[in-house]
Parts: sequence; C-alpha cells; structure tokens
Amino acid sequence: MKWNKLGKIFDPTQHKLPNDCVQFAQAPQALVFDDFVRIYFSTRSVDKRNGKYLSHIAFVDMRKNLRDVVRVSDKTVIPLGGLGCFDEHGIFPMNVMRHGDSVYGYTCGWNRRVSVSVDTAIGLAISRDEGLTFQRIGDGPVLAASPHEPCLVGDGFVKVIGGVFHMWYIFGTGWKRSSADAPPDRTYKIAHAVSSDGVQWVKEEARQIIADRLGAEESQALPTVIGIDGGYHMFFCYRQSFDFRTNKERGYRIGHAHSDDLANWERDDDNPLLDVTPGDWDSDMLCYPHVFECDSEVYLLYNGNEFGRYGFGLSVLER
Amino acid sequence: MFRWEKLGKVFTPQEVKGRSWLKEFAQAPATLLFDDFLRVYFSCRPPADENGQYVSYSAYVDLDRADLFKVRRVGERPILSLGGLGEFDEFGIYPVSVIRNGGEVRAYYGGWTRCESVPFNVAIGMATSRDGGETFSKLGNGPVLSYSPDEPFVLSGPKIRRFNDTWYLWYIAGRRWKRVDGRAEPVYKIRMASSSDGIHWNKVNKDLIENRIEADEAQASPDVFYANGKYHMFFCYRYSSHYRGKEKGYRIGYASSTSLIDWVRDDAKAGIDVSEEGWDAEMISYPHVFELDGNTYLAYLGNQVGRHGFGLAVLHGKLE
Repeated sequence: MKWNKLGKIFDPTQHKLPNDCVQFAQAPQALVFDDFVRIYFSTRSVDKRNGKYLSHIAFVDMRKNLRDVVRVSDKTVIPLGGLGCFDEHGIFPMNVMRHGDSVYGYTCGWNRRVSVSVDTAIGLAISRDEGLTFQRIGDGPVLAASPHEPCLVGDGFVKVIGGVFHMWYIFGTGWKRSSADAPPDRTYKIAHAVSSDGVQWVKEEARQIIADRLGAEESQALPTVIGIDGGYHMFFCYRQSFDFRTNKERGYRIGHAHSDDLANWERDDDNPLLDVTPGDWDSDMLCYPHVFECDSEVYLLYNGNEFGRYGFGLSVLER
Repeated sequence: MFRWEKLGKVFTPQEVKGRSWLKEFAQAPATLLFDDFLRVYFSCRPPADENGQYVSYSAYVDLDRADLFKVRRVGERPILSLGGLGEFDEFGIYPVSVIRNGGEVRAYYGGWTRCESVPFNVAIGMATSRDGGETFSKLGNGPVLSYSPDEPFVLSGPKIRRFNDTWYLWYIAGRRWKRVDGRAEPVYKIRMASSSDGIHWNKVNKDLIENRIEADEAQASPDVFYANGKYHMFFCYRYSSHYRGKEKGYRIGYASSTSLIDWVRDDAKAGIDVSEEGWDAEMISYPHVFELDGNTYLAYLGNQVGRHGFGLAVLHGKLE
C-alpha cells in the first residue's frame, strides 16, 4: 500500500467562516453523502477577553472529486459549552458518524486550567438534520478522566463494528516541564473503549494500545481506523512531548498500525508511509489524520505545517 | 422533631501547633471508631497564598471515646498528598468520607483543581489505608467518579456507605455556575451512585432532594444513616447568592427514605438550628451522624463553614 498525495484541498483563509473565525482548519473529518462529502474541521476565533483562541467546528461541502468546494458552513454547527463546562473553550476535533437517521458527533471539549493550560474530555452531540447542527446529549462528557487516565481524555474516533461501538481516543499520562522555567507540556497515548449504545463506555483503563516509537515521551494523537481487505488499519499522529511546535525534527508525523482482532495492534509507520514534502505546505509537519472511504477509494485527510493553520490536504491509497 | 442537645465545639484547629498545613478550618467531620478513641477526619487549610487562594488538606483528630471533648492526638501529617501538576486533586483534598472494608480503610474525597473561567472544579477520588486509617494511598492519579452528561462539573462532598452488600456513594453534582456580583457561584444538588466494588459506579442520575428555599438552592453533605427501619439523611443547604452570612447561609435539612432512591424532605424534623450566639450562631453545616456507645451524635460545622472547628450534638430519643 502506498499513499499518493493529492495536495492541499482547503485553505480557511480563502473563505468566510462562522463565529468570526480566521485561520486554522484542523482535524478534518469526513461525512460522505450521495453526491458530496461534508468535511468538518476545527477553526479558531480569538477570545476578546484575553486574546486566547477558541476552537469552533465548521464544515466544507466538496464535490466527490474532493477538489471543488460547494459551500462552507455559514452558521454555528455546535455552540461552545456553558460556563464551567468541559467544552467551554473549544471543540477540537469532532468525529462524525452516521447512526440510524442521526449523525453522532463525538467532541473533544477543551477547558482552561490555571496550573496547566487545559484539560479535555469527550462529549456526544447528535444531529437530526444531516449534520448541519448538533445538540449535546448533556452538558457534561461521555468519557472523562478516571483513576489511571488522570487527564486529557480526548480525540475520540468511533466506529460500530459487529454491533459494538468502538472508540479509539487518547488519555494524558501527565504534565511535565522540560526545564524549570518552561510551561508544562503534556504526554498522551492512544487507548480503546467499547460501548453498546455509544453513550456508556467501558475503558480498558490506561492500556496503551500503540507501542512507542520515540520512547516514553512520545505523544500520540487523533487515531482513525478503517477496515481494508479484512484487516484493520489505524492512522494517528505522534511527536516528541517537548520542543515540538517549531522544531521540525521533533514535530508531528503520521503513524500507522494494523490489527486483525481490534485488540492487538502492530505498529508499522512505513507501510504505508506518508512523509513530508520539502518545499511544500506539509514540509515540516504532518498531523491530525482522518481515513475514510468514498466511491471505493480510501482517502486520508490531514494537516500540514503549523498544525493546520492554512488548511488540510488529501492523499489517496494505492493498493 | 428530633431533639438534639448541643454539646458545644469539640475541636478548634487554631489550637493545634507545629503543623504548617493546618492553620484554620476543620471541615466536614467524618468518624471512624476504634477501641478507645473516635477518629474524626476533617479538612483544613494552611494560610492563603499571596493571591489569597487556599489549598485544603485532610487529616484526623483522635477523641477520647469516654470523653469526646478530650483531644488525644492530631495526625502529624495530612492523610494524602495533593495531586501532581494538572491532576484533579492538585489544589485540595476536601472533604473526606471513610469506611472500613475488611482490614482496610477506604477514603473517598473531593479533589480540587483550579480553572480559568470559574474558580475551581472538583471530582471524587478514592484511597486505601492498610494501617488503620493513618496513611492512605490513592487508587490512581485520576478520579473514581468524574463528570458525565448530566453531571457536568463539581462532583464533591462524597459520603460512602455500604448497605446490604452494596456500596453507595452520596455526593453532590454541580448544576450550573451562577454569576453573582461578577463572581461565579456553584449551584449543586444531592445525587447518588451504587457499586458492587466501590470502584465502578452506576449513577442514579437524579436529584434526590427537592428544593425548598429556591430553585438554585445549593445542597451539600448528604449524610445517610440507617436506624429503626428507614434511612435518614441529614444534609445542609443554602441560598445561591450572598450565602456567606447568617441570612442566606447554610442550615441543616432532613429527609428520609425506605428505598434509598426516593426521599421525602422534611426540614422541620431536623431539630437543629443556629444558636442565639456563639460559634454556630450564623450558620450550621456539614452534618455527620454516628452512633457511639448507645448514643446518637451529630457532628457539624458552625460559622464560616468550619473555620474555627466542629461541634457535637447528642440525640434525645430515637431517629425514627
């Protein structure tokens, strides 16, 4: 298997976005319709009270050639959470999945802390209008911290397989400072939970399902899973936990693992490898992958440099 | 109406010397009985930091079983250390509820973190002692009861009980943050969960106690005690705003149940109110009922939610 890069397909700075958002189209997530593909992403506004970012969900509808933009959402897809709620300061990302006549949106909600910058948890919001708007099932999350997953539960990706809801997600193993005067940075790993209804989840409680390539200080994020020819393939991104924002050598890359039983995963980042392209929009960083099938092709949406400040691109799998 | 005779304040944290983490407050008393003393866990605070912010620690005081007004010993150290960077209990362990489980003692506690838009958030942790309740080790670095769709924040005030081989946890869950004079004030309600092992919990997802004084009434310290064929709950409640004084501050309420899930509130029966004057003249809160050598006692906090310690009342008659 081999990824064939199709280039950047969406640049948020070329469109008017709802909620006064400018820049960033992060963590693209596809919902395939008969004659178009709706791609949700997280974009950002600036919190006027303190100049910090707020992440909002928006979408772009594209023709199935995945080149032509039909429209960009002009309304709020899902409002941010209320005062003191887990998703008060951002939703990034939101994984979407059809279930019956509804679309389930699994949100990663962000709330700001004092000693560390943020904590996250996973919420559920449901759309009954084909994904135009989503309503939360409650003000709180469906998956949050637990005894051995102490912080930063987020990045849920959900698929129903054999009648069981599977969620791949990340949990924080802790916060550390790289030096005494540095702000704390976090490390997180990929985990798995199951559910019979998509609401009540049973975790494996801190079982890291993907082996580290960079050692204990590897952070793994945004798992996405697809079945191909009877096996399962997971793509995710990984990086060093410190000095990863501007140091190209320590920043995000795309990882891969495969499994036959959804329990044991074998990491194999090189087959297929998605690598940076020197001089291009994804020369320094590759992150936030989302794999999906459309008209018998397997595609990978992902972000490039600067965590997706200038949009996302696409690759197609050659088999 | 129950007839509680107030016995006075039994413990004054300001009188304890040589503990940097214990300057004032002795909040949320919770008892554990030993052969010749009664151990009372409480939560206390060192001086506030330069920004006027507090952390809370939990500790214990041993009272003489024959004379509860005789302090025999105060723990040398807090029973638990605060959580690490970014963990749910980084800025406070308060309150604590304890229970024996075979040869162990389990503690359930509120762990406090600090947030940007609201002052704090709380989730419930669990820890186990294998030395009779002197020191505890945490089950993990995260909470044992955390937020869920209907309980979005401020899970606190745990009270652990076991009835008929099932573990029960009464606690509070935040309903909303209300802006009052530019400050975010939490509104919380009494809730419950059950478990077969005390670790994996099933929430009832229901407010157990109807509101009496206002819709945004805050309810806390749901202390459940079984006696004479039914379950008795003493709790405290306050108004949602301007509650730091006498007028709208905490009072003690009462409810009873035969099912543990359906409760009938009847505050008129509680039988304990603020005093005319003294340490509990402005507010009374955080009730805890326990039985000792044939008597039924109520431990509770007075003014400023226990800044100056806790007191005791003894019941005349029966809980029925």
